[in-house]
Amino acid sequence: MATVTATAPDTRTFAGTAWSWITTVDHKRIAVLYLVTSLAFFMLGGLEALLMRLQLATPESDLVSAERFTELFTMHGTTMVFLALMPLSAAFFNLLVPLQIGARDVAFPRLNALSYWIYLFGGIFMNISFVAGGAPNAGWFGYAPLTDTAFEATHAIDFWAFGLQILGVSSILASINFIVTIINMRAPGMTLNRMPMFVWMSMITAFLIIFAFPAITIGLVLLLFDRYIETNFFIPEGGGDPVLWQHLFWVFGHPEVYILILPAMGIVSEILPTYSRKPLFGYAVVAYSGAAIALVGFGVWTHHMFTVGLGPIADTAFAISTMAIAVPTGVKIFNWIATLYGGSISFKSPMLFAVGMVSMFIIGGLSGIMLGSPPIDSQVQDTYFVVAHLHYVLFGGTVFGLFGGIYHWFPKFTGRFMHDGWGKVHWLLMLIGFNLTFLPQHMLGIDGMPRRVHTYAADMGFDLWNMMSTVGSLMIGFSFLIFIINAVRSIRHGEPSGSDPWDGGTLEWTIPSPPPVYNFAHIPIVDSRYPAWDLKRGGGHTGAVATAPEADAEADEPDIHMPNPSYWPIVMAAGMVLAACGLIFHQAFILLGAVLFAISLLGWIEEPAA
Amino acid sequence: MHKARRRVTRADRDESRPIQGRRSTPLTRNRRFSAALLAPALAVAVLALAACGVTPQTTLEPTTEAARTARDLLMFVFWAMVVTFVLVEGALLYCLIRFRRRSGDGIPAQTHGNTPLEIGWTIAPAILVVVIVVLTVPAIFSNARAAGPDALKVRAIGHQWWFEFQYPDLGVVTANELHLPVDREVEIQLESNDVLHSFWVPSLRGKLDMVPGRENKFTIKPEVTGIFPGQCAEFCGTAHALMKFHVVVETQAEFDAWVQNERTDRVPPATALAREGEANLTLGGCVACHTIRGTDSAGILGPDLTHMGSRQYIAAGLLPNTPENMRAWLSDPQGVKPGNTMVIPELTTEQLDALVAYLEGLK
Repeated sequence: MATVTATAPDTRTFAGTAWSWITTVDHKRIAVLYLVTSLAFFMLGGLEALLMRLQLATPESDLVSAERFTELFTMHGTTMVFLALMPLSAAFFNLLVPLQIGARDVAFPRLNALSYWIYLFGGIFMNISFVAGGAPNAGWFGYAPLTDTAFEATHAIDFWAFGLQILGVSSILASINFIVTIINMRAPGMTLNRMPMFVWMSMITAFLIIFAFPAITIGLVLLLFDRYIETNFFIPEGGGDPVLWQHLFWVFGHPEVYILILPAMGIVSEILPTYSRKPLFGYAVVAYSGAAIALVGFGVWTHHMFTVGLGPIADTAFAISTMAIAVPTGVKIFNWIATLYGGSISFKSPMLFAVGMVSMFIIGGLSGIMLGSPPIDSQVQDTYFVVAHLHYVLFGGTVFGLFGGIYHWFPKFTGRFMHDGWGKVHWLLMLIGFNLTFLPQHMLGIDGMPRRVHTYAADMGFDLWNMMSTVGSLMIGFSFLIFIINAVRSIRHGEPSGSDPWDGGTLEWTIPSPPPVYNFAHIPIVDSRYPAWDLKRGGGHTGAVATAPEADAEADEPDIHMPNPSYWPIVMAAGMVLAACGLIFHQAFILLGAVLFAISLLGWIEEPAA
Repeated sequence: MHKARRRVTRADRDESRPIQGRRSTPLTRNRRFSAALLAPALAVAVLALAACGVTPQTTLEPTTEAARTARDLLMFVFWAMVVTFVLVEGALLYCLIRFRRRSGDGIPAQTHGNTPLEIGWTIAPAILVVVIVVLTVPAIFSNARAAGPDALKVRAIGHQWWFEFQYPDLGVVTANELHLPVDREVEIQLESNDVLHSFWVPSLRGKLDMVPGRENKFTIKPEVTGIFPGQCAEFCGTAHALMKFHVVVETQAEFDAWVQNERTDRVPPATALAREGEANLTLGGCVACHTIRGTDSAGILGPDLTHMGSRQYIAAGLLPNTPENMRAWLSDPQGVKPGNTMVIPELTTEQLDALVAYLEGLK
């Protein structure tokens, strides 16, 4: 019978440490893997952005060639969406969902490890293209027929299409895992109505992923058929229709926006109450509005296609559904502000990032309403106005929210604070740099600068805004360096934080930092939305978590049944990605990958689960 | 200066009184919010600056009803959003400043919600978007209205990376320079020869995509003469940024004269140099892709060059049509426009001179 000691890493040697990470099935260590990997890809995507901004700083610049520029914006978008922000959210799902619902791990620990390894290998696979004949270059949206072999005969598009398929497997597996975890593994007493808002948003996000990804999966399968076996799904000469791709892509692509923003909204819904020392205002409405956004989000996709020429009836219908999204979104923002109202607000760095998220996301939401009106959209669609809008949502919203989450939960990961002063410097520089980068882009769009252009003429009046934008982007890059240095230094040298540095209200603050392998020595019993507050403040509410934090101390280490480490997830992930390599490099890889996959499947089944 | 603040009382905990006002406190320490205030300040500055500078491709100077409709709607919604922005960010900043933690703060009132308030701020954004929808829908339909029977018909065909314009009723085929008569309804039919493109002349109308296998149409009535820049607005490959064109809106008489000239064959070369240039068409490989009516050149892959010399720009709206630019273009097409498919052998200086002289003479 395995006990906690079975999963304890043998960290006396480097090889032992490495092996313990490779075979880990602990959700907290997988969270760290997701966090580090996604930040590395975030830096890569950021460098791609900086190269583009340097090229566009001045008109008619020759810094980056036209061919390279198409690769840069394709990989910037693809990297940021699939390799940086989604996995960064997954890092938070992994760390927080079990801790916040009072569970010892996720429902399927090995599947969780598999999701991570597929993501890592898929991300590397896609980026190998830079040195293997050319990176994807048809935009992150890959509009047909530009992706057909007639226009791109190299494997650039194949890297992109197979890469997205691989990453889609990872996302869907992780989502199923978290849905099952949230539905089945909540501590006694934690009804849906008492779940922390972050868990609510995680669950909604997971449902969005399993419903949205099949659309792009089908689209990519058809695209690969067109490319490999000369079908004509998207090729007009063969009776296909390029607009079909756009529908499939945006049926996925629009919910994807909510996949990216809802976790950040969940994080902000945890941070604002904590630093205001007040419960989230209108809990039920915030949860329902998240669900409403997700649901309506499946019915708005052609607002990305208002200029395709679908006709006035379709444009009207989708304009109305798009506008409808503004209602639940507005409700969320008002509830956040009402959470602050009457509070006792402390401005630690996590709170500054959360407030930054709310205030910047408002701008993205408002410009989104402008874009939702087709006549306005017909002018600013595919211009820098849209670039500005989407970055106010995904950078101003998602990135600010996720960084707030890192500062907030860093003590829970490590037992140490990140330096608050440098955190504030990071926040201020990023806020100024962000606005300097993206506010002028609204004007560029209105002045007629299209997106995805590698250059512009000197007499178009675009110079000043572009220069401002580039200066701002460099500030963002600099602020990120401050963050990285702060984070790396704080892991070993940060001020010790104790188990509950922020006076948190949710379950993760009742256990030590970093949490023991088994999280909770005794599964808590929950009877409110903020059990940790009840425990600390007493009174007010009846009951509390069953055990005080002291009971979880390692001295009292109980005999808890935890899953064994396993190397089969990494083998299986390698098999899948090798098989994809086979369709690009040499067919032998397909066989190798399939054999690896089959062996790992058998090993997985035969392995004693614990 | 800290004013005495009320401590939490039983009344504060009472959920039936969810939001408790506090006595006002002077806003003495708001420097930390200067960064948050920067955003709106910058927005205003940006708009103020926008009025300066020359922006030939701006969406804010419409010359047709369609473009005016879009501009008016844009300005209305923009100001509605500015008002919303000020109100919401104002409320946010007010809360942050007013309720910042001060020494001696206890646990604040634990309010959980307020149903009438929440219904209120569900209805408020709903009203705002209903107003916008009510204004939007008629604009959608007016932009989609069909052309009358007298409308001038134009086919605009997207190619990687140039625009072809055909006037089927007038027998004119040209490229990258669309001539339209002022005050006459025009129906433009959009097609594509290869990948997606988008036809966009901001002063005339919002963009509409050129989709291979489909035929999109829109109707406009230009009201102002002049030359208006346009650009492909859907990513279409390497030289997407360099796929531009111009619309020349002119009086009916000027337009008729232009049509008359376009319908004739090429002007025979007038000088010895130009005659040599025409002789070099085959040598240069031009004949394979370009049509110059009245010569052996009858290719259809590239733009029709019969009246090349009369156009104001070369290389798809990229460079003013001067002999120097024409020479630069012919001697290094890839350098001028990366990715383009024009293949031209290396020519001697004399051959280049002759070709430039010939093309510039094709008025």
